[in-house]
Parts: sequence; C-alpha cells; structure tokens
Amino acid sequence: MIVPLEHVLFLSTILFILGLGCVLARRNLIMILIGVEIMLNAVGLTLVGASAFWQQVDGQIMVIFLMAMTSAEVSISLAMVVYLNRRKGTVDVRAFDEMRG
Amino acid sequence: MSFAELHALLPQLILALGATAVLMLGAWWPSRSCWILSGVGLAFAAAISAGLLVPSVAEIGGMFSTAPYARFFTILWSLLVGLTLLLSLRYAETHRFAGAEYTSLVLFAGAGMSLLSAASSLVGLFLGLEAFTLVLYVLIAFNRGDTIGAEAGLKYLVMGAVATGFLAFGIALIYTSSGSFHLPEAMHGLQQGDHMRPLGLAGWAMLLVAIGFKVSLVQFHLWTPDVYQGAPAPVTGLLATGSKGAVFASLIPLFAAMGALAGELNSVLAVLATLSMVGGTLAALPQRNLKRMLAYSSVVHMGYLLLGLMSGGADGQRAVVFYIIVYGIATLGAFGVVTSFSRADGEPQDYETFHGLGYRHPRRCIALSAFLLSLAGIPPMAGFFGKFGIFHAALKSDHQVLALVGILTALVSLYYYLRPIIVLFMQERPAHELRRGWIHEFVVLAVCFSLVLLLGIYPGPLLELIGQVLPQP
Repeated sequence: MIVPLEHVLFLSTILFILGLGCVLARRNLIMILIGVEIMLNAVGLTLVGASAFWQQVDGQIMVIFLMAMTSAEVSISLAMVVYLNRRKGTVDVRAFDEMRG
Repeated sequence: MSFAELHALLPQLILALGATAVLMLGAWWPSRSCWILSGVGLAFAAAISAGLLVPSVAEIGGMFSTAPYARFFTILWSLLVGLTLLLSLRYAETHRFAGAEYTSLVLFAGAGMSLLSAASSLVGLFLGLEAFTLVLYVLIAFNRGDTIGAEAGLKYLVMGAVATGFLAFGIALIYTSSGSFHLPEAMHGLQQGDHMRPLGLAGWAMLLVAIGFKVSLVQFHLWTPDVYQGAPAPVTGLLATGSKGAVFASLIPLFAAMGALAGELNSVLAVLATLSMVGGTLAALPQRNLKRMLAYSSVVHMGYLLLGLMSGGADGQRAVVFYIIVYGIATLGAFGVVTSFSRADGEPQDYETFHGLGYRHPRRCIALSAFLLSLAGIPPMAGFFGKFGIFHAALKSDHQVLALVGILTALVSLYYYLRPIIVLFMQERPAHELRRGWIHEFVVLAVCFSLVLLLGIYPGPLLELIGQVLPQP
C-alpha cells in the first residue's frame, strides 16, 4: 500500500467533520443534504483504505452497498425537498417549527 | 447464492418481493382496501413460513443468521406489519392514501426489521437498518394534506441521515481495526494491547451515537416527540414498536459478541440509561398531548431496555426480549386506539378532546386504559412482568443504583399514565362523538388487549420460548 493508512484515516476524519459541520451550521435543506453526502463519502474513503490495508475485498463491496444506499437516500430526500418547497415555498428548515412542547 | 440459502431467506423474500409486486400491480389496478388486505396476507404468509420452514444453512451470505433467535423476530415483525396494515385500512380510506404504495412501503419496513434482527455481520446490520429507515422517511410524511406531517418527515430525515453517517463511519472504523465485518471476528481489534484498539473504540463510540439516535436515548431524542406527533398514527405505532425493537433485538448478539469489552462500555451505557430514564420522565410529566406523552415515555422505556442489556447474561437477555414484546403490544394498541378515533380533519391527541370519552366509547377507552396501565407496569397487565424482569436482572448483576433509578422513575411514571385515564373516565362533561371504529380496528385492538392481559397473568410459556431461542453462549 503506497499511501499509509494513517493518512487515509486522517483525511477521511477531516472530511467527516467538515460534513458534520455543514449539517450543523447550515439552515438550507439542500446544503444539509450535501453535508450528509460528504460524511458518507468520508466513510467510503475509510472503507477503501482499510480494504487495501487488509488486502481484502470486503471493504470495497461495502462501499458499493453504501453507494447504492446513498443514492436511494438522496432520491428520497430530494423528493422531500420538492414536497416541502410546495408546502411552504421555502427549503429553509427554520420555517418548519410548528410543533413545540 | 445457493438454493438452500434462498430457502432460508424465504420469509424476507416473501415480504420484499411481495412488496415489489404490490407496488407494480398497483399501478394498473388502483384499489385501496384490496392491496392493503393482500399486504396483510403476505405478512402473515411470511410469519407462517418463518415458523414452519427449517433452514438448512446456518448463515445466509455471511451476513444474516438463520438461528431460532432470528426466526423468532422475523415472525414477530411480520405479525406486527400485518396488524399495522389491518389497522390502517380505515385510516388509509379516510385520508385517501395511495393503497399499493402504502402497503408495499410497510412490507419493505417489515423486511428491513427482520433482516436487522437477523444480522450476523456489520454489513447486514447496516443494510437492515437502512432498509426500514429509508421507508420510514416516506411513511412519516405520507399524509399529503398535512403540514405537521411534512415537518415531522423533515426532522426524521435530517436526524436519520446524520445517524446513518455516524453508523457507517463507526462500521468503517471497526472494520479498519479488525479487518472483518463478521460479528465475533470484528471485535478482535478491540482486545487489550492491540495497536488498533483506539480505532475500534472510536468506531464503537460512533456506533453508540447512531444507535442512540435510532432508539432515541436522551441527548439524541430531540426528534422523537415531533415525529410521533406529526406522523400518521398507524405509522407512529410501527415506528415506536418495530424500528426500536428491531434495533434492540440486533444489539443482543452484538453485546454477546463483545465479551469482556461489554464491561468496559458499561460506564458509558450507565450514563445513557440514567439520562434516558430521568430525562424522559421529567419531559413526559407536563405533556397534555397523548402522542407526545407516549414519545417521551418511549424514551424512558428505551432506558429500561438499555439497563436490561447492560445486565447481560441469560436473565438480562430474556428480560430484554420479553420487554420488547410487551412494550410493543401495548404501544401498538395505544396508537391503534388513536388511529380508530381519527377523522379526516385530524387525530384526537389533546387531552381536552378526551374529556368524558369513556362514557361515549367505553370499549376502546377501556382498551386504551389497559395499554397505558401495562406501559406503567401495573400488576395484572403484562408490563409488570416486563419491568420486574429488567429490574431483577439489574439487581442480580450489581447495578443497584440504576435499578433504584428505574424503580423510582417507574413510580413517577404513574402520574403521566394515569392522567389521560382520569380525563377519559372522571369528567362528567359530555364528550363529542368521535369516529366509530371499523371491525378491522376492533380485531387488532382485541388481539392487543387480550395479549396484554394474558401475558400479565400467565407469562410462563412466552418466557420459556424466549429462553429457548436466545443465542447460547
């Protein structure tokens, strides 16, 4: 393995934290979903690195599962974006705070 | 994948392929009740096939176990899905749900839950969990005319997506530390002295965060009341019973595989359990909305389940499985009553609408009271033995302080469980008429009611059965 495992882990941790920061800081639903995508891609990078480190194919298969799952999740959440936009005319999550208590 | 493996996977295949077939055929023949009833039939067929067929392989694709434990939960979740669909029949009619889509989504959720409970590797765990989480995103916002439903769907989507990220990163780190997804081997990186141990521990912390989100332990529970309130009542029933129960069912083999490490995790779990029990109780006390009260009370129940899980051993595991079942029956029943009262313009949730309702709709109100008393753990109801088992196992494994916290919160919980019952029966004010129930709803409620009473008086056979299906150490 040319790239050391530590470097892969370091990069993917930074990516994961960036994505999480995006989810926590942004109020636009589309930006939140992009943040989630970055988190999941960091996971994919970790899995590929670990798979190369252990000389196994399992991690790469898991990445393919992960990609399939992510695309399903994105299609559902984009449908949700369209639906919410039709209801309130905005994708700002602050507009959706009717329930309290 | 060999024929023997497909044969062993048959119950889940009936659910998933049946759901696909219903989805496709529904495009040509839009009949609501027909598809929902055929969904009920498919769910019961899956339960029967899981009960009767004996699998000839021990594991499917290295991901899902076919042990009696997995079969037991497959039967349980299939029955739950069938009952939920039966319960939704009139609700779907009133709210003009697209019948085929609704049926197929609920069946997919059942397949996901049974795969999660059967997971014997972290890949299986991830796929099973995501299968029903994705379905629930859609189901929660299924009622298209409802702004609150859309808001609930949004909150569950954002929280669920973040939890998915944590779950996947946790699994990736555990894989990095051990080089295997398969369950006993995936724990090897956690042994003392292994240089990968910090990675494995970080992975476990991430996994705990994700599980905390999914079963709504305190700190990660903020979505729970809003989603419970906004989702359609039958979907809330499925979310509260099936999705949380299936996660706990998958945790039992996971904790059994950890061995000695489980002891080291106990301090973190103890904090989570205490916070959930105390925090959930305090938040439930002032509630004046039945669905929100049940949401906070579910946080408390998850704390009890975590306590049972920490206690471990055969006693603790048996108590956890028994508790999942009795909690599920009572919760499904309570949301069933809300479903049967609901009208096209909304569901009765506020205690104001319940004033004196016990005199106008006595049968359903008595059933609702029985379910609430079971959740509170009053002796003739099944919930009493559930709580007794958990606290007994906790005391036996030296968790005295936590058991004491649990018993105290159970006492305090009487206040918020008795309050709706008092509103139902003590006020003389004449209630306005709510929906008259359909026979399908009464069948489901009668099943839940009789099970709550039966398991409260005679829990022996079920406890014996659970003892037989549990994974042997």
